[in-house]
Amino acid sequence: MIKTVKSLYTYRELIAALAWKNIIIRYKQSYLGIFWAVLKPIMLMLIFTLVRSFVGIESDDLPYPILTFAALLPWVFFQESASEGVGSVTSNAVLIKKIYFPREVFPITAMVTKLVELTISFVLLAAMMVYYKMMPSIYALWIPAIIFYTMIVALTISFFGAAINVYYRDMAQALPVFLSLLMYGSPVMYPLSLVHKKLLVEQAAGVWSNDLYRLYTLNPLAGIIDSFQRVLLKGLPPDFNALYPGLMLVLVLLPISYVFFKRAESWFADVI
Amino acid sequence: MKPIIEVNHLTKEYQLGHITSLRDNLLNTFKRLGRKPVQQRESFKALDDVDFKIEQGEVVGIIGHSGAGKSTLLKHLAHISNPTKGKVIVRGSIAPLIEVGAGVNPEMTGRENIFLNGAILGIPKKIIQQKLDEIIEFSELEQFIDTPVKRYSSGMTVKLGFSIATSLDADILIIDEVLAVGDMAFQRKCFDKMEDMINRQGKTVLLVSHNIRQVERLCNRVILMDHGKIFAEGDPTEVCNLFFNQSNEKIKANVSTSTHKNVTQTDDMLYKKTIIYNNDNNDVDSVECLSPMRVIVHFDVLKPLKNICFLIGVHTPDFLYLTATNSIDEVKDYLPGEHQVEMAISSMTLLPGVYSIRVWIGTPEGKVSFYAENLKNFTVVSEDHLLTRQQEMGLFYLDAKWRFDAIDNAIALESA
Repeated sequence: MIKTVKSLYTYRELIAALAWKNIIIRYKQSYLGIFWAVLKPIMLMLIFTLVRSFVGIESDDLPYPILTFAALLPWVFFQESASEGVGSVTSNAVLIKKIYFPREVFPITAMVTKLVELTISFVLLAAMMVYYKMMPSIYALWIPAIIFYTMIVALTISFFGAAINVYYRDMAQALPVFLSLLMYGSPVMYPLSLVHKKLLVEQAAGVWSNDLYRLYTLNPLAGIIDSFQRVLLKGLPPDFNALYPGLMLVLVLLPISYVFFKRAESWFADVI
Repeated sequence: MKPIIEVNHLTKEYQLGHITSLRDNLLNTFKRLGRKPVQQRESFKALDDVDFKIEQGEVVGIIGHSGAGKSTLLKHLAHISNPTKGKVIVRGSIAPLIEVGAGVNPEMTGRENIFLNGAILGIPKKIIQQKLDEIIEFSELEQFIDTPVKRYSSGMTVKLGFSIATSLDADILIIDEVLAVGDMAFQRKCFDKMEDMINRQGKTVLLVSHNIRQVERLCNRVILMDHGKIFAEGDPTEVCNLFFNQSNEKIKANVSTSTHKNVTQTDDMLYKKTIIYNNDNNDVDSVECLSPMRVIVHFDVLKPLKNICFLIGVHTPDFLYLTATNSIDEVKDYLPGEHQVEMAISSMTLLPGVYSIRVWIGTPEGKVSFYAENLKNFTVVSEDHLLTRQQEMGLFYLDAKWRFDAIDNAIALESA
């Protein structure tokens, strides 16, 4: 594991250069440039806000638009990192056939690219916080750790998915479908406190309630989004009870996914 | 010291046909579990037990026909593909110049591409920055360096790619057909740059090229590959000669099956055949260099023709017209019937190689009755080693005489 991180450090310039290339070619001949990157969370925020005006979703005494936008930030980052990551190896087939460097550079590059776009969204979130007169507390220092954790989750999916995608292109098709379903299973549209209240306080699912809540928090995004909102908007420390089931799952899956990727890697150039 | 590159019994198999579907894979797994025979796909050995070593500072050329396994071999050395069997050990950093420009992105400008490709090739950004001016100057693209590469001509793109690649600083350089690029002047420049890297900087170089002359000149050892195996290995001149003989046979085999090109046929006459006779009056496909030969063309005249002259020419398999002789001074009138025309050559001064005959029949004013190229292929051969070697020097033999004289002041020097 240490060796892996070390080799990634060696390739940091390559990752930076490739990410920079991705950004440049995506936004080069467009007038609005990189601000297209924030269009997706903004549109989703507007839609959710509109939907909420019909169905009524609790928002923990916070303005709903900023609550859902703060949820969309890590979510969109995760979703796009994962789907770009899965396609990253196949879309760089030319390079894979011509030159060797550790192939994990590609999923990581996809993620770093999205990190730049995330930064732009952060500017927007900051503007919204100013508008709603919200001050970040000291707990906002948790943000880098939360983002890092999100990156790990996205990579776990990317490594496995990218390797599969080299052999069966079905992966790149199936993943977006799966991820858009997962969004409803994550506290993006609604806060985690709502799930918490329904299942743990009201025991809405009877005897299954506690297990269901654990299952829900097994989705790492549940903990991530909740913590993100807590440290930034609510001025609270992260809720570790919501974080640790997902964290456990990721810590188990990441090595498996990485080893799988490295095993498959040796045949990429032949199969792709 | 251990060799810098060691290739031990390297075998690479590719499975032919498509990747198996998920369904087939699952079915095969079940069959394997049930110990039933599994449907195997045909496999193809791209490399078959290849075994060699390269010492530090050696310049090794790899030659062979397309599909002989040269590029596959390089891919293994560059760690891009992994062997099915055997082992590849590389002790040192390796810079693959495999198809220069693979990483060039059309949307980015020349300057941006220099940094991107530098990073892809593993050159630290600092070094690129230092060498930036040098790279731009070498590429001759100063004026266009801030223009997106998609607006470049293909030649310009390649120039850019090569300029970046040559700024690399690795122990082993792998060069695959890079010099077949750009205009003549730029090729010259690349060639000089490579010679500089090879001779002055003492790098270990692996060169794959179809330009045999280049390989022979640059390398101190040549490996000839054929069908995934090492066919010959050793002294550049010997191995290259072997390759020439191989190619001549192959070219002839190919050419003779290919159809005539550029045929003009009229209802004046019907072309029958072309025959070549050697000195001993045998109908042959190959003639001895510097010996006499005769070319005879048979044809049926279909209607009375006046003022007919003939042109018989020779061209290379790639349709470079070498020479032609016409009978414009001896025009003939023909009545319907079968005829033949003979052109005798007192000495075949074409150097060893594969050639082809073209025939034009018509009037001196230019009215064509028949014309075709690639009508008959023949090989010029020679027992004389010097003549065979001249093949890459040129196409014709000149009967030259040498004289060596001292000039007056040289005599003065000598006597003093």
